[in-house]
Amino acid sequence: MKTASRLCLVVALLVVAATGAGAQSQERGVTDTEIVIGSSQPLSGPAAFWGQGVGGGMDAYIRMINDRGGINGRKLRLVLRDDGYSPTRAVANVRELVERERVFAIVSLIGSANAFAVRDYIIENSVLWVTPTADANMWAGFRNKKYLFVTYPGYVDEGRILTTYAAQKEGAKSVAVFYQNDLYGQKGLLGIKRGVAETKIKLAGAVPYEVTDRDMSGHALKLRQSGADSVILYATPTQGALIVREMAKIGFTPKLFASFTLADPLMFQLAGDAWNGIILTAYFPVPGVGDVKVDGMLDALLKVNPQLRASPFNALAGVSFIEPFVEAVRRAGPNVTRDSVVRAFESMKNWDGDVIRGVTFGPNQHQGINRIYIIKSENRQYKKLTDWITYPVGF
Amino acid sequence: MALLAQYVVGGLAVGSLYALVALGIVLLYRTSRVLNFAHGDLATFGTFLAFAMLTAARWPFSVSATLSLLLTAVLGAAFFFFIIRPAKESSLLGKIVITLGLALVLQGATTALWGTDTKIFPFPLSETKVYRLSGIVISQLSVGSFAVGLVLMAGLYGLVQHTRLGLAMRAVSQDTVAAQVLGIPVKRIFALTWGLASALGAASGILLAPVTLLDPYMMLDPFLKGFAAAVLGGIDSMPGAAVGGLVLGVVESVFAGYISVRFKTTLSFLIIIAVLVIRPEGLLGQEYKRRV
Repeated sequence: MKTASRLCLVVALLVVAATGAGAQSQERGVTDTEIVIGSSQPLSGPAAFWGQGVGGGMDAYIRMINDRGGINGRKLRLVLRDDGYSPTRAVANVRELVERERVFAIVSLIGSANAFAVRDYIIENSVLWVTPTADANMWAGFRNKKYLFVTYPGYVDEGRILTTYAAQKEGAKSVAVFYQNDLYGQKGLLGIKRGVAETKIKLAGAVPYEVTDRDMSGHALKLRQSGADSVILYATPTQGALIVREMAKIGFTPKLFASFTLADPLMFQLAGDAWNGIILTAYFPVPGVGDVKVDGMLDALLKVNPQLRASPFNALAGVSFIEPFVEAVRRAGPNVTRDSVVRAFESMKNWDGDVIRGVTFGPNQHQGINRIYIIKSENRQYKKLTDWITYPVGF
Repeated sequence: MALLAQYVVGGLAVGSLYALVALGIVLLYRTSRVLNFAHGDLATFGTFLAFAMLTAARWPFSVSATLSLLLTAVLGAAFFFFIIRPAKESSLLGKIVITLGLALVLQGATTALWGTDTKIFPFPLSETKVYRLSGIVISQLSVGSFAVGLVLMAGLYGLVQHTRLGLAMRAVSQDTVAAQVLGIPVKRIFALTWGLASALGAASGILLAPVTLLDPYMMLDPFLKGFAAAVLGGIDSMPGAAVGGLVLGVVESVFAGYISVRFKTTLSFLIIIAVLVIRPEGLLGQEYKRRV
């Protein structure tokens, strides 16, 4: 019996030693031939339009990279999981991606509430996380960001800039806000409040909606009742389109402003003429306005997956999330480890991808972009109104 | 006052659509005691069928809508024949769980066939053409949907209360075994009820799609509201479902206007709880008794 116990102990020690040695020589999710990356997206549910566009864009871009031979001889493999825009499912997905799929990095992950739900787990497990598609302001003051790199704007910064622009350039005197009742909309509202504090503009009202709401008649009446001359939207494309249609229906025609999350050309179809004249922000060149690289990328994506035609802006956004990662892996060379990729990220200075531009990281800067610009919809096209507007780097 | 009237009119317009959804749920429940959780997804699937006929095949609206109602009815009946009936040994709860499975299958099929992007549903009435009456605004689409909703409700009431078929449906709902003994083709009646309820769902989907825009998840909220309306009116009562839908629409709209727009969605859950606690049979339902 004693001998058997000793034998078991020896075997256990050997197993531990063997797996430990394996882990040291082999980075999680990286083999000689491939790098596994994971993402959790709302491929179903109320935000499926975003998830399918972004997930589809990432997938098509990866296929393009792989068709060209991959990166330093390694192909990329994307493991995509559907969270239905639900934070609890996002948590389960991320655990599965890390513990079972053993991904090297997580790229994107749509939804401020979802990113908030998984961030402690990802950070504690030292998983490389590239551009959570969530309010970037949530990372300011957050510790242990060694493996986190973000090239996505913060809704607080955006809301503030949009409000000050409305007041100073568009002559808005009072704004009302139509916002999604979760972290996405609430952060936008917070930014708008900061913009209000900086200008003489008045916050006339804030009308929240739930992501499953479809009847917007009450919301539109509330916005009209506020007496605001301008309305700012922090919504999904569906609710964004529904509210502007409903406002037009009841004869309420304020100046309209919206987050870049509503910049997809699909909005011209969904909202119709009511979308004409709306002012939005953008953090990369929107397609169809003359930027050769962005238009070329969109054409290439559509060749790989023609279905992305339904959401060109979101497909390009998907590329913008993964481009810096691909560049960092390329810079890391044949020895791909989390630390070598971190060093590669931190070496990027004003780097331009095909979609995302001006990315700068450093040992003390993991917020890769700190600028947006203003666009306006005119005759079913977007027109650039300003040059880049910068905001302070927060982390 | 005009504002209150506007909230009431808006509530009635959306309430008539809740009522249609509720009628489909109630029709099936009172016949088979099955709460069909796939009702919303059947409705969505039917609406997408109409969409495909309108846009891909470019058939006229009347043809597309009629064909879609028929096909959804066939789908509902087929679901009874091929899934629910073979599972006759399962408990009532088991059957309800099967409908949840069907909901997932239909949702997946809709997504695979038509994608998840939001679409404009072509409709002969305009959402932007509005009528103004002493400060109250109502769109041509809302008037049309409300009228069609009322006609469908009246038609269904006539069918169930004043035809031999309706009599058979009522007989089956009261006592299946006795109805069978009396020579009523129970299986066919069940299949017909499934078909009729599904077609009613598709009709509500087709009327809702131009207002809510079309995507595979468009019925998530209306189904919930329809369910709340059915509970409010009395899950056993067809007039109750109609009244429940209209009352819920108006109460919700006025609540959003004067109390809290933030808790508008929560209100329907509160109504379900309140009704179940205070008057489980609903506004117009009769207390459910079963002989033992």
